[in-house]
Amino acid sequence: MDNINVLVVEDTVSESDVLIASLEANNFNVVGLATNFKDAISLYHSTNPDVLIVDIFLNGFPEGINVAEAISVNPDKAKPFVFLTSSSDRQIFERAKLTRPFSYLLKPFNELELFYAIEMALEKFYKQKDVFLSDNEDTVITDNYLFIKKGKALKKVLVEDIIYIEVEDKYCNIITEKEKFVINISLIKVSKLLNPNQFFRTHRRFIVNVEKVEEIILSDNLILLSSGHKADLSDNYREIIKRVKTL
Amino acid sequence: MSAKFLLPLSFLVCFFFSGFSQHKPCKKKEFIESLCNSDKLHKAHLLLSNNSLEESYELIENLKLGSEAKLDKDFEALILFLEGELHRRNNSFKKSVETYELSLSKNTTNNDLAFYAYIALGDIYISGIRDFDKVIPYYKKAELLLDKESCPEKQTLLYNALGNINLLSKNYDEAEKYYIKGLELYLNNNKTTQAAINYSNLGNLYFEQYKDAKAEEYFLKAINTFQKKDSTNINVRQQINYNLFAVNEAKGDYKTAIKYLETSNTLKDSIWNRDKVWEIADLGKKLAVEKKNQELQVLEAENKLKSAQRNGILVSALVLLALLGVSIYYYKEKVKTNKIITSQNETLDTLNATKDKLFSIVSHDLRSSVNTLKSSNRALVSNLETKNIEKLDQLLNTNSSIVNGAYNLLDNLLNWAMLQTKQTYFNIEEHRIYMLVEHVVFNYQGLFAEKEIKFENNVSKKDKILADQESLKIIIRNLIDNAIKFTETNDAISVYSKVEDENYIQLIIEDSGLGMSDTTRLELLKETSLLSKKENEQIIGTGLGIQLCKSMIKKNNGKFSIESQLGKGTKMIVSLPKVGENG
Repeated sequence: MDNINVLVVEDTVSESDVLIASLEANNFNVVGLATNFKDAISLYHSTNPDVLIVDIFLNGFPEGINVAEAISVNPDKAKPFVFLTSSSDRQIFERAKLTRPFSYLLKPFNELELFYAIEMALEKFYKQKDVFLSDNEDTVITDNYLFIKKGKALKKVLVEDIIYIEVEDKYCNIITEKEKFVINISLIKVSKLLNPNQFFRTHRRFIVNVEKVEEIILSDNLILLSSGHKADLSDNYREIIKRVKTL
Repeated sequence: MSAKFLLPLSFLVCFFFSGFSQHKPCKKKEFIESLCNSDKLHKAHLLLSNNSLEESYELIENLKLGSEAKLDKDFEALILFLEGELHRRNNSFKKSVETYELSLSKNTTNNDLAFYAYIALGDIYISGIRDFDKVIPYYKKAELLLDKESCPEKQTLLYNALGNINLLSKNYDEAEKYYIKGLELYLNNNKTTQAAINYSNLGNLYFEQYKDAKAEEYFLKAINTFQKKDSTNINVRQQINYNLFAVNEAKGDYKTAIKYLETSNTLKDSIWNRDKVWEIADLGKKLAVEKKNQELQVLEAENKLKSAQRNGILVSALVLLALLGVSIYYYKEKVKTNKIITSQNETLDTLNATKDKLFSIVSHDLRSSVNTLKSSNRALVSNLETKNIEKLDQLLNTNSSIVNGAYNLLDNLLNWAMLQTKQTYFNIEEHRIYMLVEHVVFNYQGLFAEKEIKFENNVSKKDKILADQESLKIIIRNLIDNAIKFTETNDAISVYSKVEDENYIQLIIEDSGLGMSDTTRLELLKETSLLSKKENEQIIGTGLGIQLCKSMIKKNNGKFSIESQLGKGTKMIVSLPKVGENG
């Protein structure tokens, strides 16, 4: 699992210091700190953050909103962001609210509020409402990553690293090259959100990344995966065979 | 002598001006009128009498062409008679004579009509054509139509006419005979004026024959016959007097003659005067009528003016009434608004007083906080000099808690101000209460540990409510602040949720602290209240926090209540709109 990349856009040093310290203490990876609009945009393009924390007021002007607008323009490159502000001034908020999806954090804030705001930004951005806060789930699935809540903080896993997923009751065991971990998510949601051309159901309990398949032993109803992992193949889920053969 | 002759002639024309009292119509006009049995005839006769000759002629011509005229000879005779009359009045004497003759030729059985036709013919020859020889035969024929039954009016008319014509024809004996016949009739019927005229005519007759003494006698008789000498017979009297003058002049008795002439002249003047008087009377009448008219006009004008005035008064009264109504309405409105304003003023006054009180308490709090901080800082400095590290730590902790308290107070003040001016961003969204409580409580962990308060967040993670995030956090923060304030070491504070009904979820902040009396509880729930510090010097606050909570709960469409027992603890209950299961 990797840390989440955060780009901070904040012009007040004392505040950015506290913020960065707080993020890093909870294993967030602060990829950059911008203090103005121009730096924010260039850092945004160069650092590939997973989420941005943007102070609305930069050097006395609500430039933070312009940053948010700029990064939201291209839907392919857009990233979730959190507005940071010390004022609950209605007019500013009304303008900020137009940059959807909208998430904000009011100063002064504590760690919980900070992480909550980041979680809300991700949920809203990827349109998977009510994930991190519920007891049942802790993972947001996107095209490239799984965002998983671990304790107070968040982690991410590259989707293409997943070898297979083993379902156990309400949990899913995620097996990658390097590690193995459990996430809380329903099977239905997993199969719905993962790319169906890449992930195939092979068994009541297995979802396999087709790209990690090394061999299918039909006689044993067994799929051999990379790094020596194995998955069962049941008669009901044989679609993967066609796919492997065409490879 | 010829001048004198004109006098009796003038009499002939105006002879029959006074009728005998009789049932049967006898006078020519009345008689003709009685014959006119149709509207057209009647109208023609009326027009003729009024000398509207042309219109009358048209009608008569019209009647002549009508079928009735050809069937009934009496009717035809009547029409022709009327036509004759018309021509005579038009001075077409020959035409008139022809028409009358034509009328007589119809052999009408109506003797009266024939009689008047003959009389008319005679008259025309006397005064129109002036051929006296032709007159007498007509009159004679008329006389033949008379009998004893004939009314005296006709008889006298005829006798006088015969008398006159004989006089003119100088057949004095004949004239005298007829005059006397007429006189007899008049005297018998007590027609004095006519009798006087007859006497006068006889006087004229004798005068013509140069029988001056006899003439004078008859003239005198004539003048004495008048029972009354008044305006009705003044013309006759004047003429008689003139005749008397002429007789006496002829006699050579000039004195008497002058006397009569004078009388005559006086009478003439009287006549003139009478006419004048009449004219004047007429004028007076006219004037009176005009005056009356003017008066009427004036009255009308006055009426108009009065009605205009009345209308004006009415209108102005109405306008005044309307004005009065409007002003009463506005007055009432004003009174109403004044009442409202007064009550609002009172509310404002109390609010102002509350605010003033709030100010004083807040500033007092802040002042004492800062003051403590000041002295604490001084202690810090001195301790730093003596490097008393243990004491330093303790002092910093105290400072931090003081600053926290002051900050909370300031935060509430700011939020209060923002809420009052509606400047804050307020957006009701779905929230899990658990998370929000966690966020707030996170800041109190140190305090709980320090005060050794057992804290539990037992809010169900499933419970979702609709609220504005920041304002809800302020509410929770204040209620927890409150709970901490009124608890002692080892007391417990727990926050939990409860489903109130299908619309609301209750968030309950419960502590096992001091609790409060019912009076305090009710006081807290009042719309505007601030608690003074008198009850518990150390811990009772401004009440600002609870006011802020109440206002914000209201704005979040929630409800607020307190349950408390003195010495056992307090439950602060916030009910918030619930999000449905699938929400």
